[in-house]
Amino acid sequence: MAALPRRIIKETQRLLQEPVPGISAVPDDANARYFHVIVTGPEDSPFEGGLFKLELFLPEDYPMSAPKVRFITKIYHPNIDRLGRICLDILKDKWSPALQIRTVLLSIQALLSAPNPDDPLANDVAELWKVNEVEAIRNAKEWTRRYAMDN
Amino acid sequence: MSVDEDDSEMDFSEDDCGYEDYYNTAEDCDVEQIDLYKTDPEYFAFECLNVEQVERLLNESVEMLSNNLQITPSLAKMLLHNHEWGCLTITAEYRRDAGRLLVTSCVKPPVPPDTSNSSSSVGMRISCPVCVSSILWDKFSSLCCGHSFCNMCWAMHFEVQITAGISTGISCMAKGCEVLAPEDFVLTLLTKPQLRDKYQQFAFKDYVKSHPQLRFCPGPNCQVVLRSKEPKAKRAICSYCKTMFCFRCGGDYHAPTDCNTIRKWLTKCADDSETANYISAHTKDCPRCHICIEKNGGCNHMQCYNCKHDFCWMCLGDWKCHGSEYYECSRYKENPNIANESAHAQAREALKKYLHYYERWENHCKSLRLEEQTLTKIKSRINIKVMNSSGTWIDWQYLMDAAALLAKCRYTLQYTYPYAYYMEPGPRKELFEYQQAQLEAEIENLSWKIERAESTDRGELENQIDIAEKRRTTLLKDFLEV
Repeated sequence: MAALPRRIIKETQRLLQEPVPGISAVPDDANARYFHVIVTGPEDSPFEGGLFKLELFLPEDYPMSAPKVRFITKIYHPNIDRLGRICLDILKDKWSPALQIRTVLLSIQALLSAPNPDDPLANDVAELWKVNEVEAIRNAKEWTRRYAMDN
Repeated sequence: MSVDEDDSEMDFSEDDCGYEDYYNTAEDCDVEQIDLYKTDPEYFAFECLNVEQVERLLNESVEMLSNNLQITPSLAKMLLHNHEWGCLTITAEYRRDAGRLLVTSCVKPPVPPDTSNSSSSVGMRISCPVCVSSILWDKFSSLCCGHSFCNMCWAMHFEVQITAGISTGISCMAKGCEVLAPEDFVLTLLTKPQLRDKYQQFAFKDYVKSHPQLRFCPGPNCQVVLRSKEPKAKRAICSYCKTMFCFRCGGDYHAPTDCNTIRKWLTKCADDSETANYISAHTKDCPRCHICIEKNGGCNHMQCYNCKHDFCWMCLGDWKCHGSEYYECSRYKENPNIANESAHAQAREALKKYLHYYERWENHCKSLRLEEQTLTKIKSRINIKVMNSSGTWIDWQYLMDAAALLAKCRYTLQYTYPYAYYMEPGPRKELFEYQQAQLEAEIENLSWKIERAESTDRGELENQIDIAEKRRTTLLKDFLEV
């Protein structure tokens, strides 16, 4: 395997030394481009109290291409589908090489605080979120309790 | 076709040809065009260009704009690409509010860059925000937004973007910055020759696509670009690969149907094909003796080889009733009481209506293919005749013309069916279907006569050609709207 670019080494060091509040990202022992991520559900959101596992992978041409991020913990969210794929502009066409792992994870945390049912990935969830927000939030809380809380 | 070109003696004998250039002076040009538009509803002025000619055309616009506004050619190209190559509108806009135009075109940032900390001295090293390596300051570049990155990172950024098929849309690497990278900036920093070529190819495609007067020929592997000053839904034919297409939508030519309707129809046909498939089976039984008949020619006037019964392949009715006055086989008879029927019956009626039009659409499409085979047969028959000295090659040319015209007429006829399907019932639809029926009757007559060319009188056939083409033009004149 090719040597790890300086950029990745720097980012990893900073993630470990000054972690973002509510987010932990640890590189895999066997592959330094693969990160085990845990995001805590933001306060005052239906995901509060939950610990959400994600995987993050830095492709060969990172940072020219966006990292690949996916939720592993099941989550009831209009912009996250059943496979954990995330609909977030900066992971797609709005990616900029000046963005970092840190900024991506912060954006994902923000997405949990502010779901956007008008730009949906999980259509059924988004539909309910628009038609009956109370019930949707109840579902999200239920899923958080069932899948994202340590038991 | 090639025979016509080789036949130079014929050209010389036609005096009109020689004079055409003489009359075709600049003042007369417009008059002549207006006349053509009047007499031929399908008349369409266009030219076929190769890549060099297109590049020259684009460069002329670039040069003109760059001279008009005193801006670099690279900047002029970006503006043209972003504004459909409208030199005049850009010039006017630029003179009114250059700043706004440059910002909305993503040429300049909304806020001018902060240049206070750009003091640099020889030998100074700076850290690149992307690769976080510390690099000599003169190995950095930035767009007019001032976001500075090292040249290596820029090159990598371009490589990844180009590999993803992006060229004219490559923007600055800074977060949220939408300033686009001009061609000269990319080409200066891009080192791999392969990627430079790719970038230029992709950019060329983008420029052609953003130019309202230009269309790529949709023919497979064809490099030709067609140009028309009036980009309408008309018939364009590539001079190189002979592909015929609609200049507006790039799909198969579809007069009298318009671009949206034909798209709707083709989607519908693709969706409903399973239902329609069993109907459009290749064989039918003779309505009199019930022997199984496979259709092996384009003509829909069938004669059973067993009982010699003449019938119509489409409606299976007696051909005698298909005299032009009573030819109604193309017309769909709507059930007048349908509104009172149950939903189930309505659905069945809708399917019936669709199948009526689909069957005819599909059938003429097949006939077109079969008539191509007929044409090859005709060619070999002509060859044999010429060899046996019964007439010369030129004597038999009328038959080829007849076959070509038949194909043209049948093609239009095929595309009248989607048009009719989406028409509201009423007098206009009645008129349309009347004309359609007339056209169909004449086409089948022509097809019948061509298939039996040896026994058909030449005058009669030429007469039939005339009638069929007149019917086609009349229908298009009345209903083709572009």
